[in-house]
Amino acid sequence: RTRKEKLRVQYPSLAMSGVGEEEENAAELKIGDEFLKAKCLMNCEVSLILEHKYEQLQLVSEDPMNQVSQVFEKSLQYVKRFSRYKNPDAVRQVREILSRHQLTEFELCVLGNLCPETAEEAVAMVPSLKTKGRAHSDEAIEKMLNDLSLVKRFE
Amino acid sequence: MFCLSELEDTVRVPPSDLNLPLEVAIKKALQKLFLDKVLSIGLCVAIYGIKSIEGGFVLPGDGAATYKVVFRIVVFRPFVGEVIAAKFKESDSNGLRLTLGFFEDVYVPAPLIPTPNRCEPDPYNRNQMRWVWKYGDDEFIIDDSCQQIKFRVENISYPPVPTERAEDAKPFAPMVVTGTIDDDGLGPVSWWEACAPISDDED
Repeated sequence: RTRKEKLRVQYPSLAMSGVGEEEENAAELKIGDEFLKAKCLMNCEVSLILEHKYEQLQLVSEDPMNQVSQVFEKSLQYVKRFSRYKNPDAVRQVREILSRHQLTEFELCVLGNLCPETAEEAVAMVPSLKTKGRAHSDEAIEKMLNDLSLVKRFE
Repeated sequence: MFCLSELEDTVRVPPSDLNLPLEVAIKKALQKLFLDKVLSIGLCVAIYGIKSIEGGFVLPGDGAATYKVVFRIVVFRPFVGEVIAAKFKESDSNGLRLTLGFFEDVYVPAPLIPTPNRCEPDPYNRNQMRWVWKYGDDEFIIDDSCQQIKFRVENISYPPVPTERAEDAKPFAPMVVTGTIDDDGLGPVSWWEACAPISDDED
């Protein structure tokens, strides 16, 4: 079976939509509505969420060394390490840029996480970009990757 | 990758927490219930926020208050075909074990390590076997000197909770990810950094 046939993309069946009641979170994270509607999150987005929650967790947890905060801290460590973008404005720009290119949530996040430098690399990581019926030419992919690299330069 | 999922559940706030502000008490109960647990949607790593709280009834015979809560959680949910970055944890004759820190059950079985390869006793660690990939005249060792190892998810399984376990059995892993490093761009990142791009003419 070819690699393309093997790639089975599944989407979480639990969708979440709508903004609203969590005004507190949205305002403090300063990330736009598009982010809240997202189903998949890039590592850099999770990094911002967890950093924000970190202070809150310290208040509630009586025992800082317990298992609850350990998984939280290790997740924070992982996403901090594997995020290409740290600045909240940059993170927002990345999602905005990728959202302009008819990608699925999953594809958008894989590209945002792995930051390929060439169209070839991008297609190797996300083979679904080239499935039949989708109009992702190499030039379009290169343009998208160029736009992304500009964000990094100005971070 | 990580996803945001909305759930609804019945949450019990124990009497000792009833003096806390409601949202704080509910969040505390949710964290205890969900953090670091594997659900059908993935491994829960954080409570994102609470959307609504209803109820607060005290059921007969129970000192705790029970609420119906709608909330969102951040879950780690690997997708088959997704490329994920990890670190080396350990290896044995069956293959490699990689870790993400918060999730340590990623296994790369021997057939998914690029060939030709060999498995030899680790000279630095008497209890371990290490894997070495032979490419042309070069040999690449896979061990914890590799800063970052990229793998592609081949399969995710959710073993059922065992009813009986031996005393020295490994801790139960509710979610096990099988990965491959046998493809372009996969494996230790250092394998690819030194590569120059191949031009099309050379083929």
